[in-house]
Amino acid sequence: MGIKFHQEPQLEDPILIASWPGIGNIGIIAVDTLRGALEAEEFGEIEPWDFFYPKRVLIRKGILEYLEFPSSRFYFKKIEGRDTIFFIGEEQPTEMGRMYAEGKRAYHMANLVLDVAEKFECRRVYTSGAAVALMHHTTRPRVWAVPNSDTLIAEIRGYDNTVLMSDIEGRGRHGNITGLNGLLLGVAKKRGLEAICLMGEIPVYLQGLPLSYPKASKSVLEVLSHSLKIEVNLDSLDELDRKVQQRIEEFYRQIPLEVRGQLDRLKHVAYAQPAEPGPITEEEEKRIMEDVEKFFKKPGDGS
Amino acid sequence: MNQGYPVTIYQEPGFEQSCLLLGWSEDAGDLGRGVTDYLNSKLKGQEFGKIEPEDFFPMGGVAIEDNVARFPESKFYACPKQELVILQTDSPLAEWYRFLDSVLDVAEHHCRVKEFYVVGAMISFSAHTTPRQLLAVANSAEVKEILSQYDLNTDMDYQTQPGERPTLNSFLLWSAKERNILGVSLWVPIPFYLAAVEDGQAQKKVLSFLNNRLNLKIDFGDLDQEIREQNEQLARARSRFPQIDDYINRLESNLMLSEEENGELVKIIEDSLKEGA
Repeated sequence: MGIKFHQEPQLEDPILIASWPGIGNIGIIAVDTLRGALEAEEFGEIEPWDFFYPKRVLIRKGILEYLEFPSSRFYFKKIEGRDTIFFIGEEQPTEMGRMYAEGKRAYHMANLVLDVAEKFECRRVYTSGAAVALMHHTTRPRVWAVPNSDTLIAEIRGYDNTVLMSDIEGRGRHGNITGLNGLLLGVAKKRGLEAICLMGEIPVYLQGLPLSYPKASKSVLEVLSHSLKIEVNLDSLDELDRKVQQRIEEFYRQIPLEVRGQLDRLKHVAYAQPAEPGPITEEEEKRIMEDVEKFFKKPGDGS
Repeated sequence: MNQGYPVTIYQEPGFEQSCLLLGWSEDAGDLGRGVTDYLNSKLKGQEFGKIEPEDFFPMGGVAIEDNVARFPESKFYACPKQELVILQTDSPLAEWYRFLDSVLDVAEHHCRVKEFYVVGAMISFSAHTTPRQLLAVANSAEVKEILSQYDLNTDMDYQTQPGERPTLNSFLLWSAKERNILGVSLWVPIPFYLAAVEDGQAQKKVLSFLNNRLNLKIDFGDLDQEIREQNEQLARARSRFPQIDDYINRLESNLMLSEEENGELVKIIEDSLKEGA
């Protein structure tokens, strides 16, 4: 079990951007769009069989021709002063029916990714995922940024449309990042590598739908490209977003009027400091969440 | 991952060479368990090792089956005269590659296995009166060639459909191929209304092939009797419930049933076989 390199690129002070699928596939769409735009070249992969159940088999004339596993690939792009390594995992190594990677296998995979970061002397690691937020799907998602060191806070405050946990309404300074997007941040800290997780906001009522949420991927990509000083054409993301927004609107129209009325109020949420009164009171926020939970609760859930 | 070696061998089976047969405990038609139990009983298989379950199954309690608590088990049995190793096991729910690697470690290093067979059931929308077919998937052209002299369908084409995943049998075949061990997965289509009960005909189809291939010299008189009894019970259910007779007639004519009809057929057949038992 390990990493297989197809080539060993010569990189100077690169950064590593890693992503796995998660809610709304926000992180992976952002990172993969950037990888595609830069035409980054594959140079290695993590051998999959210890981490994943196979995803595809081909049997021809009674002979097993091949078995395909979810991929975990490394790519590189040389850009003067901004050499970049991408890691894109097709799946998180979950087990026993859990939704997110956790435990020994996840920890091992995080370490393998960071082995590559250290081998190529990466100066920083970015991960990217989703932040479930009390917001409306017609509003521009913000990006929640979590660094693994105090020293990065000042830099993050300079990013556009980005908030730290302490800026998020009702959160204090605390929260969790589930799965490998979060774990990588912790393991990087343990190794003394600086890392930032960028999470695009997704409305709370969309988190369980089998839909991507490219609007938030775009927000993440804007932050990443600004940080890397790279211009990226976002037309393909905008097009994808238009299609997804149509499907969301279709779904939204099926929500009972009363619940939809509550959700519509989220259009008017203004981002305020916790101490300041917002246009929605805490009591109203609680009622919206109760309505949302009641509507989206699956039959047979709980008692 | 610094996990311990999950295999315990009580006694080296001492094979010069052998063949491994793997049956999953919770197969449709009770195929895997039925075939391995039958061979263990006929050939007086002696348990010689096991795979510890804690890395491969959620240790969150026990399942209850037929009123009794059961725990995941993976046991190896040796039948020295026939140079046969039998593994009866629950399907692992985690660390699949490591589990299959452990199976192949035992096969290669403790039993000198030259070829292995893994048994699997496929759900079929055919009637129980349709003769059972035996399909085989090999992990090399060499082993496919060996199979050509037996009554098997060895020309299956298949690829995973969207939303599906390959079977553990395919994963095992692939893992064995990586070690140059010849492997075959044997598949029997089982009528859907016999999936939750024993399908003696399906078991016999696999056993007959193994009997020929491994020269086991087994007399199937007792199994034939069980099959006859089950067929009589099914015939009684057909005459007692005209709609069941109609459904089976339609399946015999390759016609599909509605979802409701499928459900009714399953329920009445399962109840009838339980009553008969």
